[in-house]
Amino acid sequence: MAARPSALRRSGRVLLYVVMIVAAAGIMLPFAWMVISSLKQNNQVFTAPVQWIPAPVQWRNYLDIWVKADMVTWVRNTLVLSVAVTLLQVLTGSFAAYGFAKMRFPGRDALFLLYIGTIAVPWQSYMIPQFQMLSSWGLNNTLWAIMLLQAFGAFGVFLMKQYYESIPDSLSEAARIDGLSEYGIWWRIIMPLSVPALASLTIITFVSTWNDYLGPLIYLRDRSLWTIQLGLQSFIGEYNAEHALIMTGSVLSVLPIALIFLLGQRYFVEGIATTGVKG
Amino acid sequence: MNRKIMSAVGVAAAAALTLTGCGGESEPAAADGPVTLTLAGWDFASTPEFQTLADAYHEANPDVTVELKEYPAGDDYDTALTADLAAGAAPDVFIVKNLKNYVTFTEGGTLLDISDVAAELDPATGGLEPMAIDGVTYAVPYRQDSWLLYYNKELFEKAGVDLPDGSWTWDDYAEAAEQLTEGIGEKQVTGTYLHSWQSTVQGFALAQSEGASLDGGDFSFLAPYYERVLAMQDAGAQPSYATVTTNELTYQAQFGTQKSAMLPMGSWYIGTLVAEQESGAADTFEWGIAPIPQLDESTTGTESTPVTFGDPTTMGINAGIDEAKIETAKDFLTFAAGPDGAAALAGIGITPALIDDAVADAIFGLEGVPQDDLSRFAYATHETLPENPVGQKTAAIQTILGEAHSAIMSESTPVDEALAEAEERVANEVG
Amino acid sequence: MATPVAHEQRTLGFTQPERPQLRAPRTSLRLRNALIGWTFILPNFLGFAVLTLAPVATLFYISLTSWNIFGAAQWVGLDNFARLIGDKSFHTALGNTFYYAALHIPITIVVSLSLALLLNQKLRGAAFFRTVAFFPYITSIVAVAVVWNMLFSPEFGPINQFLSLFVDGDLPGWTVSKDWAMPAVIIVGTWKDMGYYMLLFLAGLQTVPGELHEAARIDGANAWQRFWNVTLPCLRPTMFFVTVMVTIQSFKVFDLILVMTDGGPGQATLVLSQYIYQKGFEQFEFGYASSVAVVLFLICILVTVVQFLYNKRKEA
Repeated sequence: MAARPSALRRSGRVLLYVVMIVAAAGIMLPFAWMVISSLKQNNQVFTAPVQWIPAPVQWRNYLDIWVKADMVTWVRNTLVLSVAVTLLQVLTGSFAAYGFAKMRFPGRDALFLLYIGTIAVPWQSYMIPQFQMLSSWGLNNTLWAIMLLQAFGAFGVFLMKQYYESIPDSLSEAARIDGLSEYGIWWRIIMPLSVPALASLTIITFVSTWNDYLGPLIYLRDRSLWTIQLGLQSFIGEYNAEHALIMTGSVLSVLPIALIFLLGQRYFVEGIATTGVKG
Repeated sequence: MNRKIMSAVGVAAAAALTLTGCGGESEPAAADGPVTLTLAGWDFASTPEFQTLADAYHEANPDVTVELKEYPAGDDYDTALTADLAAGAAPDVFIVKNLKNYVTFTEGGTLLDISDVAAELDPATGGLEPMAIDGVTYAVPYRQDSWLLYYNKELFEKAGVDLPDGSWTWDDYAEAAEQLTEGIGEKQVTGTYLHSWQSTVQGFALAQSEGASLDGGDFSFLAPYYERVLAMQDAGAQPSYATVTTNELTYQAQFGTQKSAMLPMGSWYIGTLVAEQESGAADTFEWGIAPIPQLDESTTGTESTPVTFGDPTTMGINAGIDEAKIETAKDFLTFAAGPDGAAALAGIGITPALIDDAVADAIFGLEGVPQDDLSRFAYATHETLPENPVGQKTAAIQTILGEAHSAIMSESTPVDEALAEAEERVANEVG
Repeated sequence: MATPVAHEQRTLGFTQPERPQLRAPRTSLRLRNALIGWTFILPNFLGFAVLTLAPVATLFYISLTSWNIFGAAQWVGLDNFARLIGDKSFHTALGNTFYYAALHIPITIVVSLSLALLLNQKLRGAAFFRTVAFFPYITSIVAVAVVWNMLFSPEFGPINQFLSLFVDGDLPGWTVSKDWAMPAVIIVGTWKDMGYYMLLFLAGLQTVPGELHEAARIDGANAWQRFWNVTLPCLRPTMFFVTVMVTIQSFKVFDLILVMTDGGPGQATLVLSQYIYQKGFEQFEFGYASSVAVVLFLICILVTVVQFLYNKRKEA
C-alpha cells in the first residue's frame, strides 16, 4: 500500500523535472541563438529561414573582439561603474530604508511616495534637464556622471524598506531594551537578517548598470570611457553592422553576471530561519 | 606642494573655460596663429570621411587643426548631439545628419547663418539650394547619396533575363523581378530585395510623382507605388515585409550573398559592396548599377535624366562657437563642400554633393567598381530630390507616414484606408 | 565605509540611557525619532533630491511650456494638456499602454510567484533552474527581440510551424499583425521579466517563518490553504513592492517595444513612453512630450497610492 503513493510521487517528480528541463531549454533559446550567431560569419547571422548550425564555425570572433576592438577598456569601464553604483546604492539605500520602515516621524509617508513617484517618470523625459545640470558642473563625458546618476535611485530604498517591514518589530524592540541605538539595530540586527534582499538589490543594480545603454550614450563620448553596451553598439556602423561580433560581445558580457548569480545562490535563499534568529 | 600646483592648474583651466564659454562677449580676435576647430562626426572606425576632410584641410591650411569628436552612428547621433547642444557642450562644427531636424536646429538658434559660404559654392552642388530658409542658409551639403538599382549580372544570365538598359519603368522592374525569381528557380533566392525602410517606397513616389508633396495633405500619390510593391511581395518576387522585419534581414547579406538579383539602394552601397567582396564577406560575382526605375517613360532612357531621391548630408557651424574661430570655420565649410573636399571624399569612395567628372573618374577608378557605361551613367546622371524636404512639419509627417508604411507593408491595413488615415492624422495632429 | 559607522553606532549604543522612551516627554521623543529618522534618510536623500528630484521637478514646469530643447522655454499654461484631449495618437498610445499593463501585470505576478514558490523548495538543481529563470533578464534586449521576432515570423517561425499542426486556416501574424502584435509583445515582456520578479519574491519568501507552516500542517491545512493563509500574508510587504514595481514598469514599457515592433504595425503597439520619445527627440516638442510624461506619472502615482492605502488598511 505504501509503495503506490511513493511511486506516484516519484513519477510526478520525474514529470516535473521533464517539464522544467523543457522550459529551461525554451528559456535559454535566445541565449543559445546568441552563442550560435557569435560563431557565424557576419552575413550568415540574419537569414530566412534561420540557420541553426554555423558553417564554417568562426572561432575567430572570440579573438577579434579582444584584438580588433577595445573590449578590455569597455569591460574595465563597465566594471568600475557597476561596482561603484552597486556599492553606493546598496549602502545608502539600505540605510535610508531603515528610516522609512522602522522610524515614525511626520511627513514620512509623503516623502516615501515622492520617492516612488520618481520611479514613475520615464527617464527619457527628464534626461535633458539632468544632463544640462551635470554638464554645468563639468561632469559630462566622465564616469562620475553615470555613477551619480544611478547611485541614488529610489529603487533600492523601496526594495529594502519593504523587506525590513517583514522583519518582526519584536526583534528590534528586544534590542532597544538591551540598549542598542537605532544605528546599532540597523547594523547588527536588521542588516544580517536582510541578506536575501541585499543580494537581490546587489545583483539587480549590478545588472542594470552593466546593461545600461541610454545613460552612457548621452554622457560618454571619448572612446576611453565607453562601456560594453556602447562599444557593442559601435559595431553597427552607418552602412554596415558587425552582427556576429555584437553577439560575441553580448555572450561575453552575459557570462560574468550569470556566474555571479550562480555563485551567489545561497545568499538569495538565506532566510531568517537559516541565520538562526527566531522571531 | 603637489596640491598647490594642482589647484593652480585648476584655476587656470577654469579661467580658460570661462573665456571660451563667454566667447560671444569677448573681442573678436583675428585668427592668426594656430587654430583648432572641433568637428562632430560618428563612428570613425568605419566612417573615414571626417578624418579625410580634416586631414585634407589641415594639409591646405597647416595653421588649422580640425579635431574630431566622436558620436555614435545611426539615430543615436542625433540623440547624443541634441543633448550636447542643449547643454552647450557641442563642437564648433557639426553634421546635420537628418535633414528633417534641420529646421528645428535653426529655430532653436543652434546654427550660425552661413549664407556667405553658400554663395561661394558651386550652384550645382546637390541639395544646396533647398537649404535656404527665407533666403538664409544655415548648413551646406558636403555629400549626397542618390538611390540607384544594383543588379547581379550572373543571376540575370542564369535566369535568362535581359540586363537593365536604363529604359525601365517600375512596371518593367516588377516584371523582371518575377521572371528572375522564376528563372533562377532556387528556394530563398528572389528577383529583388526591398528593405523595410519607408523611403524604399515613399522616397521614390515623392520624387517621381507629378505634384507630390509631403505637406499638401494628399497622399494618394503613394498608392500606385504601394500596390505594385504589395503585388510583388505576394508573387514572391521579393521577401515579404513580414520576413524582412521578423528575420531582421540585411540588404548587404541579401544582395552580397546572392539571395536577390536586384537591389534598389543608395550610392553609399558601392563602397560597402566593393569592400565586402574584397574581404570575402560578400560572394564574388559580377554586378552593375542602373538608373532607378521611373514612374513612366518620360524620364527613362540614357537621353533623359532619371529622377531619384536622396538626402544631402550637411554641415553647419555651432552658434555657440568662439567668435575668433568663425572665419576659420566658414573657410573649412567652403573647403569641405567645394571641389577640394569633393575630390578628397571621392578618393575614399564616398559620393560628394558636388559630382563632376573628376569625382566620377575617382569613384570608377577604384578597384572592384563595375566599368560598364550604364553604371557610370547611372552614377553621374540623375535629378535627386530630397526624401525629407526642408520644412517645419517634415519630421512629424514622416512619423505618421512611417506608421502608415508598416501598416500597409505588413498587410494589416489596405492601402487606401491607411493613406486616408494618414491624411486625417496629418490634418489632426500636425495642422 | 561600513565599519566605522558600525563602530560609532556601537559606542553610541552603550551611552544610551536604558528605556529612554519611559523618561523622555512625548514631544521630545517624537523630535528625537524624527531626527534619527532623517539621519538615516539623509545620505540617500541628498543625492536623490539633487540628481533626480530636481530634474523631475523641472519636467513639471516644462510640461507647461513650449520648448524645442535648444532655445528658452515659453510659458503656455495648460495648452499642452488641452492639446492632449484632441490628440488621437495620444489616445491610441494611452489605450495600448493600458492594454499592455492590464495583461502584463497579473500574468507576470502569477508566473513569477509560481516560479519563486517552485524554486524555493529543496529541489535538486534548484540553483541551476533559478539561474536559467534569471537569464532572460540579463540577456541583451536586442538579442531577445531578434530571437523572439524570428520565433514569431509568420512564414518561417517555429511557433507558427508548431501551431499549424493543430490549427487549420489562418495563423496569427504576431509582430506583423495589428491584432497579434500586442499579445506577442506581452508574451515576451512576461518572459523577460519573470526571473527578475521571481528573485524579489524569493527574497520575500525567506521571511516566512517555517514554524508557521509546520503549525498549519499539523492543523491539517492543505498546500493551498497554507499558501493562502500563511505564505501570502507574510509576503504582503514584498507583494506590495512587486505590484507597485510591475505596475510602474508596465506603464513605462519602452525598450522592449522599441526593439521588437517599434510601435508598429501602424500604431498597434505604440505606447506612452515611446510617444514621449517620439515627440521629444524626433520632433523636438519637448514641452508637449513632458505633458505626456506628466500624464503617465499621474496614472502610475494614482495606482500606487491606491495600493499604498489598501496595504495600510490591511496592516492596521
